[in-house]
Amino acid sequence: MSQRLGGARVRRLLAGLLLLAPAARAEFTLRSEVDAHKLGVQDQLQLTLTVEGSGAPDEIPLPTLVNLDVVAGPFQSTQVSIINGRMSQSRSYSYVLQPRSVGKAEVGVARTGGQSAPAIAIEVVAGRLRQGEPQRQDPLGRDLGDPLEELFGRRRPAEAPRLLMEAQPSRTQLKVGEPLVLTYWLYTQVSVGDLQFKEAPQYSGFWVEDLERPTTPPSGEPATVEGNSYRRFPLVKKLLFPTRAGKLTIPATPFRIGIVRQGFFDSGGVVERATKPVTVEVEPLPEAPGFSGAVGRFRATASLDREAVPLGEAATLRFRVEGTGNLKWIDRGPSLALPGVKVFPPQSKSDLRTTPQGIAGWRTWEFVVVPETSGVVEIQPLAFSYFDPAEGRIVTSETAPLALRVEGGSAAAGLAGAPLASAVARATGALPLRSDLGKPAAKVLSSRALLALTGVALLLHVGLWGLNRLRGGVARGVGRTASSRSIRNALRDLERAAREPMSKEQAASLVEKALDEAFGAIEDADESERARLVRALLDDVRFVRYAPQLGDYSDKLKDLAARAAEAVRRWS
Amino acid sequence: MRLSLLLALPLAVAAAGAAGPAEDPFRQANDLVRAGDYPRAVALYGELARSGNESATLYWNWAQAATARGAHGEALWALLRARELDPGDRAVAREVERLRQALNLDPAEIAPEPLAVAGRFARRFRLDLAAAVLLVLSLVAHALARTRLRPAGAIGLAWGTLVLGLAAAALPGAAASLARPTAAVVRRGAPLLDAASPSANPAGTLREGEVVPVLDTSGDWLQVEDNAGARGWAHEADVRRLDRAPAAVSQD
Repeated sequence: MSQRLGGARVRRLLAGLLLLAPAARAEFTLRSEVDAHKLGVQDQLQLTLTVEGSGAPDEIPLPTLVNLDVVAGPFQSTQVSIINGRMSQSRSYSYVLQPRSVGKAEVGVARTGGQSAPAIAIEVVAGRLRQGEPQRQDPLGRDLGDPLEELFGRRRPAEAPRLLMEAQPSRTQLKVGEPLVLTYWLYTQVSVGDLQFKEAPQYSGFWVEDLERPTTPPSGEPATVEGNSYRRFPLVKKLLFPTRAGKLTIPATPFRIGIVRQGFFDSGGVVERATKPVTVEVEPLPEAPGFSGAVGRFRATASLDREAVPLGEAATLRFRVEGTGNLKWIDRGPSLALPGVKVFPPQSKSDLRTTPQGIAGWRTWEFVVVPETSGVVEIQPLAFSYFDPAEGRIVTSETAPLALRVEGGSAAAGLAGAPLASAVARATGALPLRSDLGKPAAKVLSSRALLALTGVALLLHVGLWGLNRLRGGVARGVGRTASSRSIRNALRDLERAAREPMSKEQAASLVEKALDEAFGAIEDADESERARLVRALLDDVRFVRYAPQLGDYSDKLKDLAARAAEAVRRWS
Repeated sequence: MRLSLLLALPLAVAAAGAAGPAEDPFRQANDLVRAGDYPRAVALYGELARSGNESATLYWNWAQAATARGAHGEALWALLRARELDPGDRAVAREVERLRQALNLDPAEIAPEPLAVAGRFARRFRLDLAAAVLLVLSLVAHALARTRLRPAGAIGLAWGTLVLGLAAAALPGAAASLARPTAAVVRRGAPLLDAASPSANPAGTLREGEVVPVLDTSGDWLQVEDNAGARGWAHEADVRRLDRAPAAVSQD
């Protein structure tokens, strides 16, 4: 399967590698071409938009089409030409167009990157015009060759173009994790157009990185292979890291190379070339406890984002490894355990770039640490072990010891997310402790105890009332139970009868009424002390009431009222 | 004589259960706090609380140790527990308010049960004792009113004290029996799970310091409802009850 040298990135790479003009300069021309200006409505038309030079945009917008439809495309092709030791590049976008109707058609003005190509007018007629066009291939498949051959005699057969591809490793013996640069060289004696990987290259057993494109495109250099002179160009460079020990082979990589037309009747051509397999010897790395697997030359440092931190707040410990080697492989940071400090899993950051010497840059592991006790937290040196190919052994780079001062007791500690925390935070930490444990909290009565207490109280009240009722009933015997209001009224009437001036009839009547209100009707059969007393009082009252007015009865009435009041109090 | 005996009864009940001497471990815990060893100090305070030596002072110091340690949710819980034990402690109330603001909590977020406020009011003013005294007083007045002495106003006094006593007994009784128990979130980012299991799916995250009603319990797990209405299960190490001493204290 044919594979182009990789999309836009490879196009940029080829442009940078092959163009002699500086890549940064935007010098290009734009052409818009059609393969016919008159055609039948049943014919198809090929439109080709071509940019030549450097700095052209990656895409060329399709011009406005009048009376034409796109039936296929765009087909993109890149042409790399090496002619007389100079390289040039062009990109073409081809479309197949179909007229809609007989009449006028037009391909509008093409524009890209500030350049433009004029519009093209096309005449469309009925039927098909392109059937009669001369064919370079006859129906039987015979090559008809150059039509002028009959006139000028057949030319001698053209020699096969001298082209070679070579994959050249920067070294063939190395250790696991050491980088090697694999350069694909093109050796040529002719002008080269398109160049593609025919098959995707295989790098089994390697970690592959693309090397950064050089800022200035390399020019070719003379080279001699088997007595033949060539000019060779570095096309692609890969940085390979062996991932296992042993003999590792990079198989042959086939390329498809387009040859530029050499003469008027030469249509150019496409040839295939393949690199030779490349074999490298990979030695294993020595083993050692704590070895990170890094190969190269590195330096480890550690830092804290602050020297002191309030208790409960977080600090960040940054462990940084920088150098050149296979640092991209190393994703596990050092293990960090600090007594009395909560250490959160690290967050890794890196800034790495690919160089021919390896992957250069730095990688950091940031640990968030939250001290749980005040004082000074000592952070012992952190180690990073790597294999140094120059010294041929495992080297350990240690960081300097660090100290984090933890200041005790900020009220706002750990409350970074609380907007009001700083406003209410005490400046001097926690409040003083209380020295005496103090008496335990007094136990309150439970709801059950309260319910029981309430129930008992209510029962006792009812009991008192009932006992009083019971006692009053026994004492009164059979008789009316006077209400307290009646008793109060009776006592008031008796007091009036004894104190206020009134006739003896009125006073006696008042006393009689009071006795009746307090005791009601006394039955004749009732021989209790209470009944006898009331009957005696009533007899005396009636005597005074109905007796002739022969003297002063006031003392008698006072005495009666007092006796009646005493009876009411006692018996009612 | 009878009156004095009746008054002494509830006081004796209230004084019952007084803890034995625990001053030494308490001082030891305080020394640990001053030395900056807050985790051990908190552990010691926890042991004291579990052994029945709970007091507002104990929880006050616990809160200071937790504050110094940066565990503000735990500090707020300790202060709320201190307030439960001694609702009249103004310093505790002040610190509760300060921590509530520091944790950016709404007042309602630490008081989800209005009846709990009534309960604290009843405890602060010892309405239980007042109710007992009033009920006894009403009985005495009633009894006097039924004697031959019949002191003036005895019946009225009996009725008045009876009504007041019933009212005083109703408030703490209703608060104790109707208010749901509550718990405070002591750990930041404490998960709310959909089942009482550490492998259950998280249903949300509780806010540190938030007070939530406890709906149910299952072993070390509490079913709670957060202030947004989400219900789920939280571990007792993350959410500590306010109505009892902590069963176990997780230090990590």
